[in-house]
Amino acid sequence: MGYLVQRLDQFVISLGRSVTKNLEYTGQVLLMVYLSIRATVVDQAQGFRTIVSVISAQIYFTGFQALPIVSVLALACGAIVILQSSSNLNLLGGAQMIGNLLVVIIVRELGPLMTALIVIARSGTAVASEVGNMRANREIEALESMGINPLSFIVFPRLIGGVISVICLAFYFTVIALVGGFCITRLIQDLPFNFYIDSIAQAIAFEDIWLFLLKNTFSGMIIFIICCYQGLSVQRSPTEVPVATTQAVVKSIIYVIVFNLTVTSLFYLNQLLKLGVL
Amino acid sequence: MAAVERPIIEKIEFQNLSFTHPGHDPILENCSFEFPLNSICWIKAETGVGRSTLFQLISALQMPNSGNYLLNGQIVNDMSFEEFLPYRLSIGYGFDYGGLINNRTLVENLMLPLQYHKVLPYLEAKNRVERYMIQLGILKYAGLRPAMVQGAVRKITCLIRALVLHPQILLLDDPTVGLSPEVAAQFFEIIVDLRKKKQIRHVFITSLDVGWMNKISTIQIHLAESTLNFNRKEKVVGL
Repeated sequence: MGYLVQRLDQFVISLGRSVTKNLEYTGQVLLMVYLSIRATVVDQAQGFRTIVSVISAQIYFTGFQALPIVSVLALACGAIVILQSSSNLNLLGGAQMIGNLLVVIIVRELGPLMTALIVIARSGTAVASEVGNMRANREIEALESMGINPLSFIVFPRLIGGVISVICLAFYFTVIALVGGFCITRLIQDLPFNFYIDSIAQAIAFEDIWLFLLKNTFSGMIIFIICCYQGLSVQRSPTEVPVATTQAVVKSIIYVIVFNLTVTSLFYLNQLLKLGVL
Repeated sequence: MAAVERPIIEKIEFQNLSFTHPGHDPILENCSFEFPLNSICWIKAETGVGRSTLFQLISALQMPNSGNYLLNGQIVNDMSFEEFLPYRLSIGYGFDYGGLINNRTLVENLMLPLQYHKVLPYLEAKNRVERYMIQLGILKYAGLRPAMVQGAVRKITCLIRALVLHPQILLLDDPTVGLSPEVAAQFFEIIVDLRKKKQIRHVFITSLDVGWMNKISTIQIHLAESTLNFNRKEKVVGL
């Protein structure tokens, strides 16, 4: 009995430590968001053109260059979901529900999550290793010594460029998944296009757009701020860069999934409250 | 938008300042010291004693663990990045290694502080940068990125970047390492010339190159046993 109590004690202590550590980390990351926005607003020297040029470069690398991989994944995901949904709904006699099901699966969940995962894999790693290498190569120190705040010069444009890219990519993913997926499904199954489009148009609501924007905006922010934070956490040695990059990927995935799960849970809780179930 | 107004540096002082890198011996311990101005000052120290860290403290890239760092009587420790900016633009820091922005060409690296802080109109800034590049023989590499040039060219670029703003305080960390004697002589000639024109006032150099330092330094400071001391006994020949 004493042994069990001791083990329980140890478990509670380690759980507490882990929660405190994660809360502290979240606090530091949020502080960096605030400081980078503040530095950009306060920085009198950094012109609008400087910020826009870095933001557009970030959108090009994160958004535009990711279009081929997003297209392939969106087509595959769309085709799988539509195939499975339509065949099973036909069996159950609920073919007219296909629009609702696709909006729930693709617009609300799969679009934001898959896009976030693609961006983490492609651009999150790039940003974390780029910033980490800048730190190891003393470029960040050099910027500071020249009176250039790395938070406004490095972090803020990547954050804004990243958020814009994630929103645009998620929209692109959703469109390709819905339209492209339908085209692939047509090769195998007979699904009338007008019926399909009508069903989706009727299913999509204002709250879906709101949820879509909320999830993608914050996912983009989470990915890029965590990757910049991990990159900046490199001290001196280039050997720290791969460790920081791995940490950035792991933490970004965890935070994005937890965020998406939380938003979805709150959304359905709200739906249940509206329906008077709770 | 107008450039940031740079204050005249009249006093550089440490007050009971201590600094230690975590897990290492202290670099400065309860050190009170007023740095000599209007001179070329050679900061002598053994390797690993903390010469680069001393420069990082003077340029406020590191903050002391305790005590104060004062510029013109103002405590730097309490200043935000923006509050320290006018002073920062009065300090040029030539790193011993690294520090060039890798995704910019050499000329873009040198233009960056001038353009960012709108110190000079574009053409004037370009002329100034190209003049120094010609003087030190690296103009042909202007359009290349740091990774595509030799170490000596990177080092020269780093040194030029420290002085393009014509800062009042110039910190040079091992400036002659990797340079040919001709280039080093040319570089020190530029510094002496800028000092004559009062465009650079206070120069601090750390170096193990006794020959060069004896030629150009006017004052020596010793960094040893976690404190700073003047060394006036040694004979120094000024230019």
